[in-house]
Amino acid sequence: MGKKGGKSMASTRISEQLPPHFDPTQAPVAFGNRALPRLSLELQDPQLCIRQRALAALCDLVHDPKRAYEAIHKGCLERLKVLLQDRDSSVRIKTTKVFYLLAAHNVGREAFLTWDVVAPLSDLLDEPVDACRKNMHRALKMVAEFPAGAVCIVTLGLVPRLVMKLPVEQEEIRALILATLSYCVRVDALPALASDGVPMLRNQLSHPSADIRRAAASAMLGISVPSEGKHKVCEEGVLPILVKLLSDCDPGVTASAAGTIMNTAIITEGKYQALKAGAIPPLLELVGSEDRAVCANALRALTTLAEAPCAREQLLEHLPLLKTRLNHPASIICRAAATAIRVISWTP
Amino acid sequence: MTSVLQPQKEAPNGTYTFASRPRPVQNRTKYREPAAEQSDGQSNYGNIMYDRRVVRGNTYAQHILPLAAQPDPIEVQRQQESRRRSVARKRAMEQFRPRTPEALEGRKHIDVQTELYLEELNDRIEDTSVECQTDAFLDKPATPLFIPAKSGKDVATQIEEGELFDFDMEVRPVLEVLVGKTVEQALLEVMEEEELASLRAQQRAFEELRNAELVEVQRLEEQERRHREEKERRITQQREVLKKEMETADKIAARAFAQHYLADLLPSVYTTLREHGYFYDPVERDIETGFLPWLMAHVSNTLEKRYVARAVLDMLIHDVTQKRLELFQQIQPHDHSTQ
Repeated sequence: MGKKGGKSMASTRISEQLPPHFDPTQAPVAFGNRALPRLSLELQDPQLCIRQRALAALCDLVHDPKRAYEAIHKGCLERLKVLLQDRDSSVRIKTTKVFYLLAAHNVGREAFLTWDVVAPLSDLLDEPVDACRKNMHRALKMVAEFPAGAVCIVTLGLVPRLVMKLPVEQEEIRALILATLSYCVRVDALPALASDGVPMLRNQLSHPSADIRRAAASAMLGISVPSEGKHKVCEEGVLPILVKLLSDCDPGVTASAAGTIMNTAIITEGKYQALKAGAIPPLLELVGSEDRAVCANALRALTTLAEAPCAREQLLEHLPLLKTRLNHPASIICRAAATAIRVISWTP
Repeated sequence: MTSVLQPQKEAPNGTYTFASRPRPVQNRTKYREPAAEQSDGQSNYGNIMYDRRVVRGNTYAQHILPLAAQPDPIEVQRQQESRRRSVARKRAMEQFRPRTPEALEGRKHIDVQTELYLEELNDRIEDTSVECQTDAFLDKPATPLFIPAKSGKDVATQIEEGELFDFDMEVRPVLEVLVGKTVEQALLEVMEEEELASLRAQQRAFEELRNAELVEVQRLEEQERRHREEKERRITQQREVLKKEMETADKIAARAFAQHYLADLLPSVYTTLREHGYFYDPVERDIETGFLPWLMAHVSNTLEKRYVARAVLDMLIHDVTQKRLELFQQIQPHDHSTQ
């Protein structure tokens, strides 16, 4: 009696048919080492649907750092750069998404710098499709977050173009652009200043969204570091807005606002403008905050303001509050409190 | 079915266990006995030597089912070949069959009936119409439910829990793979986010330090600048003051000297002026400037008149004497001549 192998049961023999293709939107990924070379070949295919599917599969694979490393070293970056200029918008969206995922890994970021990806990526600044622009800005922000990337963006001269884009973009993208700018101005604030950065940022400071305010305040902090920045800030009348922001609920916003006041009050004009806008009472409140950045920035702002004699008079009454901060466990706050007390109690 | 399963509960001494007792197929009697029971099965063992269902004779030439579910490719090929060959043979046979020779030129073959009595050949099929009609429906009572009589033996079988396989043990590898893959994916995602978060935290800490140092540096710079400027200003102020003082001292010295120098200037000036006649008595001056010149002018006038008179007189005298002289001269020579 022969054995009848039932079709319902699994047999040990491997089927001659290919494995079932579950997801029609993704290309099937080959096994092991063949996965990425095959995908990079499919990326160059003249047929649109094959490219789209290969990109979808690549998006999923690149989350894994090993795969990301392989992808970079098999030269996928060149092909992806070509695909950035593709006519079909879904291909561009997926390509920018792959770049964003690659930028999340350190190998990816370094590869961006070696293979000069930032320039073609930034050509998409005027891209009509929103999703593509958003992914591109996400990727740019990720690149800007680490120092060499920020240097690269500044040397490419992207900062003026980004500042130009600020008023016209929608909200989420604006938040991303502001974050990118805030990292870039920490490297070099002069291009941003030259392209009217201060008025643009001032307009964003009063935006209802907390993300935008936080990023704008942080960018303002970076811009106010060089002396031209400080003069510009005083000229444009930003200090009253900053004083209002000191009472904001988001700690990032208050920390950056206090920091900007701290930087601007170094020049005499800044000091008197800040005092006229009534900066001292909110700053004194912020000194008692728990967030380290907020407290430290508030203390330092009071220190710079205390160089002016009228401020010193006011602050002499509040010395006990500052003395309570002397015993804080964080050394930054101790030092800031000590400096503040020393400056306030200085007599000529 | 049992032969395919792995013997799971293999006892250590190697005997084979089962849940439903394996039994040989029963020998079926020729005529059905409706009341045959299970207990009769024991006595109904058949002799396979006399069982009609057992294959007899040479098995090599028998047509057996192929081993593989799919047709053997060799078999398939052979069948195809034989089919092709038979088709070729038929075609060859067709060629050799004697046919009627072709018609001569200008003539055509047609079929003709050669029987005695001609038959009409046509394609029309003879048919007749037949009608039938059922009677109208009659009311009929409902048919009773038909329950066929029970025949045959009822046999039930049931797979109890744990008979086929032990779920907990079987599921372990599957579950491990599933959970492993999920956890791996989750770990990847968490790692990504953590990496980014730690990067950002590090940057923030660095940023704070940097801010602190920057602000401190700038503030001290500014302070230094202000102090320096203040100092400069004060120094210049002081210098100005000093210069002014010196100037004032100089001025005072000069004034004193000048005063001293010019102390006796005044009397000498006065005396000089008086000497030069700048302080005059007005009456005297008036006399001198007004009266005396007039007087002198009148005096000179008068004197001139006297001179003029004297001159006229002189001329008169001169004239007279001249005339006298001339007269005398005229006379004299006459005189001389007369003498």
